Amino acid sequence: MSHLKAVASRTLQLALVLWAVVTILFLMFRLMPGNPMAAYIDPTFTVEQQQALMAQFGLDKPLWEQYFIYLGNLLQGELGQSFRYREPVAERIFALLPNTLILTFSSLFVAYAFGILAGAYLAWRRGSAVENAAIPLVLMTRAMPEFWLGMVLLAVFSFWLGWFPAGGTRPAGADYDSLWALYTSRDFLSYLALPALTLAIYSQGLPLLLMRSNMLDVMKEDFVTMARIKGLSNWTVVVRHAARNALLPVMTSFAIAVGYQLQGNVVVESIFSWPGLGRELVNAVSASDYPLAQGAFLMIAVVVILMNLIADMLYALLDPRISHA
Amino acid sequence: MTANLLSVRDLKVSYRVGNGHIDAVDGASFDVPRGSIVGLVGESGCGKTTVARALTRVIADNARITGGQILFDGKDIAAIPERQMNALRWRDIAFIPQSAMNSLDPVYTVEYQLNEVLRRRGGLSAREARMRCESLFEMVGIEKGRLRDYPHQFSGGMRQRVAIALALALNPKLVIADEPVTALDVIVQRQILDQLRELQTMLGISVILVTHDISVVAYICDRTVVMYAGRVAEAGPMAGVLTRPAHPYTMGLRNAFPDLAGAASGTLTPIDGAPPNLAEPPPGCRFAPRCPFSIEVCSTESPPLAEIVPDHRVACHRASEAPVLREIAARTETWLAHA
Repeated sequence: MSHLKAVASRTLQLALVLWAVVTILFLMFRLMPGNPMAAYIDPTFTVEQQQALMAQFGLDKPLWEQYFIYLGNLLQGELGQSFRYREPVAERIFALLPNTLILTFSSLFVAYAFGILAGAYLAWRRGSAVENAAIPLVLMTRAMPEFWLGMVLLAVFSFWLGWFPAGGTRPAGADYDSLWALYTSRDFLSYLALPALTLAIYSQGLPLLLMRSNMLDVMKEDFVTMARIKGLSNWTVVVRHAARNALLPVMTSFAIAVGYQLQGNVVVESIFSWPGLGRELVNAVSASDYPLAQGAFLMIAVVVILMNLIADMLYALLDPRISHA
Repeated sequence: MTANLLSVRDLKVSYRVGNGHIDAVDGASFDVPRGSIVGLVGESGCGKTTVARALTRVIADNARITGGQILFDGKDIAAIPERQMNALRWRDIAFIPQSAMNSLDPVYTVEYQLNEVLRRRGGLSAREARMRCESLFEMVGIEKGRLRDYPHQFSGGMRQRVAIALALALNPKLVIADEPVTALDVIVQRQILDQLRELQTMLGISVILVTHDISVVAYICDRTVVMYAGRVAEAGPMAGVLTRPAHPYTMGLRNAFPDLAGAASGTLTPIDGAPPNLAEPPPGCRFAPRCPFSIEVCSTESPPLAEIVPDHRVACHRASEAPVLREIAARTETWLAHA
């Protein structure tokens, strides 16, 4: 079946992209100036002690050998030991990943739900006073740096009004039976609100403007005119025909947005002390904890690549011209 | 019950362009008798598509019906409220567009799109709609297994058949076909026209066929309305208008087209020049600047649409000399000399 073949070839492409990412990550940290062990090895250590440690981490071997060891370990899910925490990188990352994904997807769902509806509405109300006021406002939210927006929200809703906590994921000392209990608690939601809102405000502009301009294009299509000549209701014409078609490119942009968002998370997680991958990445880089930074980068790359695959499959699902070509 | 299903009287449609406006249709009058196919013919920009769309009252955002009457079944549908008009759409007046590719929604199956009108507009149940879909496909000669296909999976001719099935879905009284075969090759054109004629006779409906191709009119229509620059130049029974044209424009049009039926009639002679700018139409007869027979009065006074023989109307100051003009117009040099 051509369907299976398409999925198979797409998966192969993914594997290639992943391999390239892995290789670049490997080289990137080895090309950076300074000894990767500088932060880890105390200068008072003797030369023998230093060399013993280098040997322990395999850093005394030639580069190509290190590369193959690295690849081999990756295939077994082994991401190495964090210099700083002295614990496996994989454990650390998988503990933080859910926080990042929850923040990313909750903010993006809000941003896309709002953006799609508002974009469609503004296209429908083309030329009205509402549209004239809304477009500059949206452009403004697109232009606001997220760290600034985050700090403003923090100042207003946390420090001034006291509606939401300032950072973290749970009240001090609170303990939960399981991660599930934490994520479904009301506390968690109140901690999630501000960082998610920051990201949502920052990212709603893209789907909104995209949806609006797609709608304006689609509304000029013959099949929309025909729907009117058929005497179908305004709702049917605008929602079932115009919006349904205008939605296609917006859905693909969602996957790309996840990538951008993970990048944006680095800033927002730092501002709201959100224990996620982005904040950990910043800490790891500044502490020269290369295995951890490498692992975090890799995880982010994997999520982005997976989202692209999902976007492709979603597009095929939504657009019969792709799946039945 | 009137003899004419549709009577258009002095219809005016105006487009707002910048600060000014263009009267794309400037006083068009014609009739569509019950059970007949009327060809609305003319070159690009003559207002024929604007007329067709005005009959559905779904027109461009910057367009407006500024005058005249559209008497459908004796009721002026240019004047009824939008809600009443919408009730008529597709149930009584259906539309076959030029490009079925662009006028079918690409993300739904054709069955979905048929069901949409059958159920939302026709009030049929799911079961009734399914049966109706199958019988409609049978009518236009597509196997019913293809109902589940998407528009892009059909060929151009097949898509046009789907568009015909869609138009006939609710048993309308009038079908407006806007250049229904223009995008197709000649062989398929003929098949589609044959089918349209067959279904029209079988169902006893009226059809307005908008085309720039006079051979299509000759092939299928009972009556012809020739439009030029927003006005009706000549109208009457097809045979009368095409064999004994009384308007120089119709004479010229006839010289400029090959015969769909295949008879090679020698050289084709184009009408030189272009239609006038409708933002500043010339005074008098709008065809005068291109007409080899224009006289003084033509450029000052607009000729009225008058009956020259029963049921055959023409808007020309020299209509009474038509037999002589026809002979001169048949010669190629008439049109070349004028150029």
